Amino acid sequence: MTSTLNAPQKRLAKEAIKVWLISDMIANLIGFLVLGILFYLDIRFSWKEWIRLLLIILTVFALIGGVWSLIHPFLSYKNWRYDADEQFLQLKLGAIKEMHQLVPMTKIQSVATEQGPLLRRYGLCSVSVETMGSSHTIPALPKRAAIELRNQIATYAKIKEVEQ
Amino acid sequence: MTKKRRYSPLVMLFEFGKLGKNSFFFVVFLYVIKADSTSLFITYGRIIFLLAVVLTVFSIIYQWFTHRYELDDKSFHLYKGLFNKSERIIPFSKIQNINRRAPLFHRIFNMTSIHFETGMIGDNAAVTFKVISQKEAERIETFLKSATKHNEVYPNDGFDVPPVEVGHHAPNRIIHFQSTRKDIFKASFTSLSFLILIPFIGSFYFKTNEIFDVRHTAEGLFERMISTWWAVAIIVIVLTIASVAFGIVKTFLKYGNYEISSDSDYIYISKGVIDETAFSISKERVQAIEIEQSLLKRWFGLAGVKLTSVGSLSSGEHKLEVNTLYPFLPVHKAYAMIADILPSYTITKEMTRLPKKVFWLRMLWPSWFWLIVTGFLLYFKPTILKLEQAWLILSVVLLFWILGVRWLDFFHTRYRMNKHFMQFMQFKKGVLKTSLFISKREKVIEVNVTRNLVQKRLGLASIRTINRGKPIRHAGVDDVPIEFANAFVKWYKDRENEVTVE
Repeated sequence: MTSTLNAPQKRLAKEAIKVWLISDMIANLIGFLVLGILFYLDIRFSWKEWIRLLLIILTVFALIGGVWSLIHPFLSYKNWRYDADEQFLQLKLGAIKEMHQLVPMTKIQSVATEQGPLLRRYGLCSVSVETMGSSHTIPALPKRAAIELRNQIATYAKIKEVEQ
Repeated sequence: MTKKRRYSPLVMLFEFGKLGKNSFFFVVFLYVIKADSTSLFITYGRIIFLLAVVLTVFSIIYQWFTHRYELDDKSFHLYKGLFNKSERIIPFSKIQNINRRAPLFHRIFNMTSIHFETGMIGDNAAVTFKVISQKEAERIETFLKSATKHNEVYPNDGFDVPPVEVGHHAPNRIIHFQSTRKDIFKASFTSLSFLILIPFIGSFYFKTNEIFDVRHTAEGLFERMISTWWAVAIIVIVLTIASVAFGIVKTFLKYGNYEISSDSDYIYISKGVIDETAFSISKERVQAIEIEQSLLKRWFGLAGVKLTSVGSLSSGEHKLEVNTLYPFLPVHKAYAMIADILPSYTITKEMTRLPKKVFWLRMLWPSWFWLIVTGFLLYFKPTILKLEQAWLILSVVLLFWILGVRWLDFFHTRYRMNKHFMQFMQFKKGVLKTSLFISKREKVIEVNVTRNLVQKRLGLASIRTINRGKPIRHAGVDDVPIEFANAFVKWYKDRENEVTVE
């Protein structure tokens, strides 16, 4: 889309795919476990018919979600771009619905790096910024790059516009 | 510059105190009032309560151990978490307010609490020290002030609101609008305030029915009155006059004596007949203008003007408000007044419409709502008023309704990027009620462009602007040509030209 107008170029860490696959898998496992228990209880205590119907519908959705969670990490990685210069933080993401965001550095109020156990395993960090009206997260960068980016954004964000 | 520090251990004591205070009611209820109760409900209640207390105590201690702070010469660094580690940086320049409070608890230990407030919204909006020694608070505050010495953060924000006096004017104020009797008449009709009486009349009718018990005393005076057509006609006329009069009086009380004036920095509005109220809006702080027209207002040639503004920060509170200038201005007057009051805003009347193909896209786009409703109707096939095909009729009516709404929306949607004199973005949309949104580029705090698969195919995109306000003001247009979306991004990128930094 806005490719000609120096659209963001930098990409996420490739390990992001693995992290997403694993976290999705964990979520799916828990989800199916809960469904399994519910089905067991349903049969055991012979609940009302519509509950069974509801459970079946839920299972269908969960299956679709499960398949999607195998595809989604690859698509997401392929389409994620970011960039930060003195003026703007730019994010571009989404395969099916593509989104290009422009956040002026002067409007950024705080910036943070975060690292959960899964991200740590692959030496990754996420960087999130908060503005006066929204927050944005770059989900997975190599730790060093993340810290660098965070400090860079903090330096740029320090600048204050005369009238906010 | 300081090293990483933990917060004062007294924070834990303070939190324990708070926990005790919050659980007081539960303790009294579960262990005093229901002390002898053996009901299952109370037993489980106690278990849950104890679990909650234990968890809270644990989390208080955990938080104290894992949370740390650090100051470098430009910003706060806040550390959190053990498994989920995070480090947050908040530049000093973003601190807008410093609040210190020392309630009883703090005074006992010779401590204080201090909040460094930013422009953010939500839980993380401030850097908070719940309990901190006087010395450390003093140290951080002076450190912060010396680090940001040339741009004073606190408390002078440069916008002291002038006292607004009711009734008389400072000489340099220009009066832009005073409501006349004609305005009030028009306003009372367009606001439909006379309709307010209808439910009253309705309930009055039923009440009288009950009082006179019409059914049983068929000979009653009331019944006889009601039964003659001329009496009914008189009642209807009287009630109509009464409700119109009521509407006018109501509107008069609310919008009579309305006056909009301004000087070089502020807009002043005073209103009210019995209770006069007056307030001022800083021109500098106007974030966006909106011109609204309902269907009736369009017929009468009226419009309402709304200003989204950020209130003064010096008051200590972060006020973001939307002010209506006057909801029933004649259209040409509204435009002229905006030009007068806010000369830095220019509204361009010529705006671009969406391309033709968007019309077909909008019309042919599946309506999930219609599909679901039709699905239900098809399944249940309800018979309404003895009509077996009712479901079909309902479905068709709904379809036409939806298409009509889409058609009106398409018809009203316009956009315009103004690049000549000043930098503006204008969006207009609406179905029955239209609204025209105008914001200066420097006041837009963020933009984004989105495209779904269909839009990609057709060379279209949706554009959005975000402005400050409460709540945050999102505005934008769907399905503009991609060339325009590109120009829009470029336009926003050029904002650095007009934004001055300290």
